[in-house]
Amino acid sequence: MEQLIILENEIKELRKTLKEKELEMERVRRELFDAQPEYRDLNNGLPASANGPEPMVKCGQLPKWAIERYSRQILLRDIGVKGQTRICEAKVLIVGAGGLGCPAAMYLAAAGVGEIGIIDYDVVELTNIHRQILHFEQDENTSKAESAAATLRSINSRIKITPYNVQLDSKNALDIARAYDLILDCTDNVPTRYLLSDLSCLSKRPLISGSALKMEGQLTVYGYRSDTHSTEKGVTFRGPCYRCVFPTPPPPDAVGSCSAHGVAGPVPGVIGTLQAMEALKYILDMSPQKLLVERMFIFDAEDMVAKTVRLRKRNPMCAACSDSPTITHLVDYEAYCSAPANDKDLDLKILPQNNRISAPEVSQLLKQKEPVYMVDVRADSEFHMCHIVGANNWPIDGLSGDALEQLLRCVEKNPSSVIFICRRGNDSQLAAKKVLDMLPEEHRHKVKDMIGGLHAWAFKVDNDFPVY
Amino acid sequence: MAEPIHLTLLFAGGAELLFDRVKRRDVVLPDLKDYLPDCGSEKWTVRQLVLWIREFLLKEREALFLQGDEVRPGILVLINDEDWELCGTMDYELQNKDSVMFISTLHGSTSVTSRIELYTP
Repeated sequence: MEQLIILENEIKELRKTLKEKELEMERVRRELFDAQPEYRDLNNGLPASANGPEPMVKCGQLPKWAIERYSRQILLRDIGVKGQTRICEAKVLIVGAGGLGCPAAMYLAAAGVGEIGIIDYDVVELTNIHRQILHFEQDENTSKAESAAATLRSINSRIKITPYNVQLDSKNALDIARAYDLILDCTDNVPTRYLLSDLSCLSKRPLISGSALKMEGQLTVYGYRSDTHSTEKGVTFRGPCYRCVFPTPPPPDAVGSCSAHGVAGPVPGVIGTLQAMEALKYILDMSPQKLLVERMFIFDAEDMVAKTVRLRKRNPMCAACSDSPTITHLVDYEAYCSAPANDKDLDLKILPQNNRISAPEVSQLLKQKEPVYMVDVRADSEFHMCHIVGANNWPIDGLSGDALEQLLRCVEKNPSSVIFICRRGNDSQLAAKKVLDMLPEEHRHKVKDMIGGLHAWAFKVDNDFPVY
Repeated sequence: MAEPIHLTLLFAGGAELLFDRVKRRDVVLPDLKDYLPDCGSEKWTVRQLVLWIREFLLKEREALFLQGDEVRPGILVLINDEDWELCGTMDYELQNKDSVMFISTLHGSTSVTSRIELYTP
């Protein structure tokens, strides 16, 4: 055991040193890139014919290292030397270094895309790692953009990777996007999707948009324009933007729901991988009929069914992408969608103070053997992962009709407090409110919502309780 | 009497949560004259189908499926795997053996129909 701890610590130290060296190398490489752009020129490595003897071998337009490295894709008829050159010259911006962004970035870096920018404001959490495959255990609590960039650099040192450790917003988006040819939407919320769509229209960069939740995924290409497409220059075919398909944002979700939505890791893996494929096809100048333009790919992993459906055409009156758009600059998308541009939880306060109780107080009541009744309102799958001993599962999703009536009777019968519990303390308030609204006055004082939910329980009462 | 219309209804992207988690249903529509004698239409269109679904299939949280009589923004309707915008949206005249899919758009951490609306500030 002692030896194990010593080794763990040694490895930790070595990793720290390694990270410092890698950062230093990156800085030196950057200086080289900026001082002499030909450093990563494809011709780097070819003997200079003016000085040296005439080479006996002709390597087409690509140097030896590139032919060797990318040979398995250059052999494809659709890629070839010309295509590989295009890939090496391409610049792709990936928004989100999560479940979609990680596999997408991985394949694009491995394929040799010349410049990859990766944006994420968040830090790596252990709960991310089952699907966000560029991050490792030792990256916990470090910037996702930096962590992704570090792994991408170890996959391909011949390309330029730029991490942006910022939240993309209407102030910084245009400046960042200008340096790239196309954008991958690997984000997880409605406001950012509208922001990216408008950004795509304003900057005339196509948007390859992916999403994944639970066991399902969706993928399509928005904002395709043939006038920036070399084989069809002068032709004016344009695909729909996100606003053509979804002109109105959905009504805002209920505030601060606590339900933690799950996702099976391979699902964003599939969608992110296919985003990379569409990006490569776009870079290779393949025709819009072959891209997911005016089409959406829908994937259901549960039934293992994938299909591609036909989407509407571009709306000639679209507010964002028509010839006389009414959206001429980026706006405040959180206000526009009445929703936050992140997946973080909100703190809800809708109950009177006397209907709330702290986690330590609950623990005290339990120790005193008070006959409290605990109502855990999380989904049954969450309840089965972990719950306070003695708690009863009343999933909030089913809290209506007969179930609600039963719960009301339960509260009325119970002589002591009825404690409402969920993951973070928002859903439990919603459920408690629902019960309070229907409960006769004399029983209302018994209803108590546990402030901060099971997270508070884990931090203040029982450190062994899993935080998820 | 008109020929009965057999339809395949598909719910996906979280929309199935409003329909007992059933993703696929094969249904037969009744004679429109019996179901909605006053609707002013001879033939079933998506407009009447949506009302029929609300009455007979929708189990909970109607507001997550419909806004008034309209399908909620964020839910994509596909008729025979084509965006309903390409075939007349609500006015599309349903044919025997059509498939109609209601798919919630996913946004990563949430799907349009996955949240619970118990509290309106």
